[in-house]
Amino acid sequence: MKSKVFDDLRGFLSELDRQGQLLRISEEVTAEPDIAAAANAAARLGDTAPALMFDNVAGFIKAQIAVGVHGSWRNHALALGLPMETSMRDQVAEFIRRWETFPVAPERRDDPPWAENSAEGDEIDLFSLLPLFRLNDGDGGFYLDKAPVISRDPEDPDNFGKQNVGIYRMQVKGARRLGLQPVPMHDIALQLTKAEERGEDLPIAIAVGNDPVITMMAGTPLEYDQSEYEMAGALRQSPYPISSAPLTGFDVPWGAEVVLEGVIEGRTRELEGPFGEFTGHYSGGRKMPVVRIDRVSYRTDPIFETLYLGMPWTEIDFLIGPATCVPLYQQLKAEYPEVQAVNAMYTHGLLAIISTKKRYGGFAKAVGVRAMTTPHGLGYVKMAIVVDEDIDPFNLPQVMWALSTKVNPDGDLVQLPKMSVMNLDPSAVPPGISDKLVIDATTPVAPDVRGHYGQAAHDLPETAQWVTRLNAMLADRI
Amino acid sequence: MNTDNQPCPRCPDGTATVATVSPSGNIWTVYMCRVCHFSWRSTEPKRRTESALYPEAFRLTAADMAAAPDVPAVPPLRRNP
Ligand SMILES: [Zn+2]
Repeated sequence: MKSKVFDDLRGFLSELDRQGQLLRISEEVTAEPDIAAAANAAARLGDTAPALMFDNVAGFIKAQIAVGVHGSWRNHALALGLPMETSMRDQVAEFIRRWETFPVAPERRDDPPWAENSAEGDEIDLFSLLPLFRLNDGDGGFYLDKAPVISRDPEDPDNFGKQNVGIYRMQVKGARRLGLQPVPMHDIALQLTKAEERGEDLPIAIAVGNDPVITMMAGTPLEYDQSEYEMAGALRQSPYPISSAPLTGFDVPWGAEVVLEGVIEGRTRELEGPFGEFTGHYSGGRKMPVVRIDRVSYRTDPIFETLYLGMPWTEIDFLIGPATCVPLYQQLKAEYPEVQAVNAMYTHGLLAIISTKKRYGGFAKAVGVRAMTTPHGLGYVKMAIVVDEDIDPFNLPQVMWALSTKVNPDGDLVQLPKMSVMNLDPSAVPPGISDKLVIDATTPVAPDVRGHYGQAAHDLPETAQWVTRLNAMLADRI
Repeated sequence: MNTDNQPCPRCPDGTATVATVSPSGNIWTVYMCRVCHFSWRSTEPKRRTESALYPEAFRLTAADMAAAPDVPAVPPLRRNP
C-alpha cells in the first residue's frame, strides 16, 4: 500500500485538520505563559492529543505557531501515512520495515517556496521573523528546539552522506545571534572540532517548520556517513525533496518555512541556558558555541513550528521514541537473532526493554550487556530490562508482570560500575559516568535452574481466533 | 511599554537592554541581559521578570558564571591543517 506523503508542514497540518487532529486557537493568547501551558496541557491529554495552531498572539502581527505536530501516537501514525489508530507497537514495526529500505536517493527541486523572501546581514531580525516565546520558568530565554541544523564535514565537504541533519537546542541571543548546544557525542560536535582545529568557522543552515518525516530523522541516531535525507526517503517510501540553500550551498528541505544560514563561530564560547531538557530536568551553567546568522529565506507569513518539552511524556518523546528503538533492535538482532523486539522509548533509551528467546542460561544477561555497548547504548541504556520472547516490551503491564514474578535479585541483577552515559543524565556522578544495570526478567533456562517455573500459564491456543472474532463483532456494532 | 534598560532578574549586576518591542500595539518589550544573556518579555509572569520573585534554583552569581565550563572544550589549533 502506498502511504500518504507530505512535502511540507502546511501539507501535514491540512491532513491533521482533516483527521480532526488539529485544534486551531484563534482567541487571543499571550506568548507567555499561554502557548507553552497549552502545549504542556495537550501532552497531558494522552495518546490521542491534537496538534495546536495559534494565530492570534498578543503583540504579534500575523504570527502562526504550531505545537504538538508530533505530539501523540495518532499524529505520529499520520506523519508516517498510517491510519491514525495504528498501535504504538505496529508503528515501530513499520518504522523498522521501512528503515531497512535505506537508502532512497533524494529528489532535487529548484523552486523552494522559502525563496519568496530573504534578508541579509544587519537587515536580519529573528524576533520579527519568528514569534519566539519561552517554554519553562527556568529557561534562559527563547529557544529553537525543533529545527534541523544542516552542516558538513570540513575535511570532506562534498560527501553527501556526511552532511549532517540534526536537531540541537538553540537559544536566541540577539537579532541574528544564537547559542547552540552540540552534545559531544553528536555529529555536529565532530565537525565543529575539525573546523576549530583549523581555526575556521563551521557554516550551517537551519530549517524551521518542516514536513513531519525530516524532523523525525533529525532526531534519530544514524551512523556518521548515513544521510538523513536518504533515510527520510526510506521512511516516507518516496524520494525526499531537497534544494540548495543560497549562501552555504547546503542541501536543505525543499518545503521548509524558514531557512537560516550562517556559521558557528570558531573557538567562541558563551554562557548558555539553562533549558528544560528531554530528561525532564534543566541543564545549563555552561559556555557553548555561538551562531551568527548571515542570511534568511522564508515563505510569506511563515509558520513557526516548535515543541514543548518538560516533565515527560511530551511531544519530544513521541518524536524520538520509535526512532531510538530501531538501531538498537537492528544491532542486537544482527548478532543475536533470538531478539524479538526492543522498546527504548524512555528518555531516548536511558532505559530499554528487550524481549528475547534464550539460547542457554545467562544468555539474556549477555543481550542486556550488549545493548549497552551499541553505539547509542554507550551514551544511553543505563538500564536494560530483558524479558521473555512472549512478553511484548511495549505492553508495560506485561513487563511489570515479568519483573514481579521472574526476578529474584539474587542472580538476576548485573551492575556494571562507572560506565559512560550522556552528560545530561542528572543521576550521573560525575556527569558522563554512571553505573549501569541489567535486570534479567526472563524465565531461567538450563543450566540456570533457579526458581519454580515448570507450570507457567499461557493464553489458550484458541484465544487468538477469538480476539479476531470479538474485534469483528465490535466493529460491526457501529 | 518601557524602553529603558532594566536590572536583570537572574544575575546580581546585569543590566538588560531592549532586544525588541511588540510589532503591534505597544504591548511588550523583550529585554536581554548583557552579562548572563537572560532574556524575558515584559508581560511574562512576575516570577520570571522580577528579581525578588525569581526562583532561587535559577539565579546566577558571578562565581557561577566564572565557573561555567566550555562545552565542548575548544581544541588546540592544528599547526599544519
Ligand atoms: Zn543577567
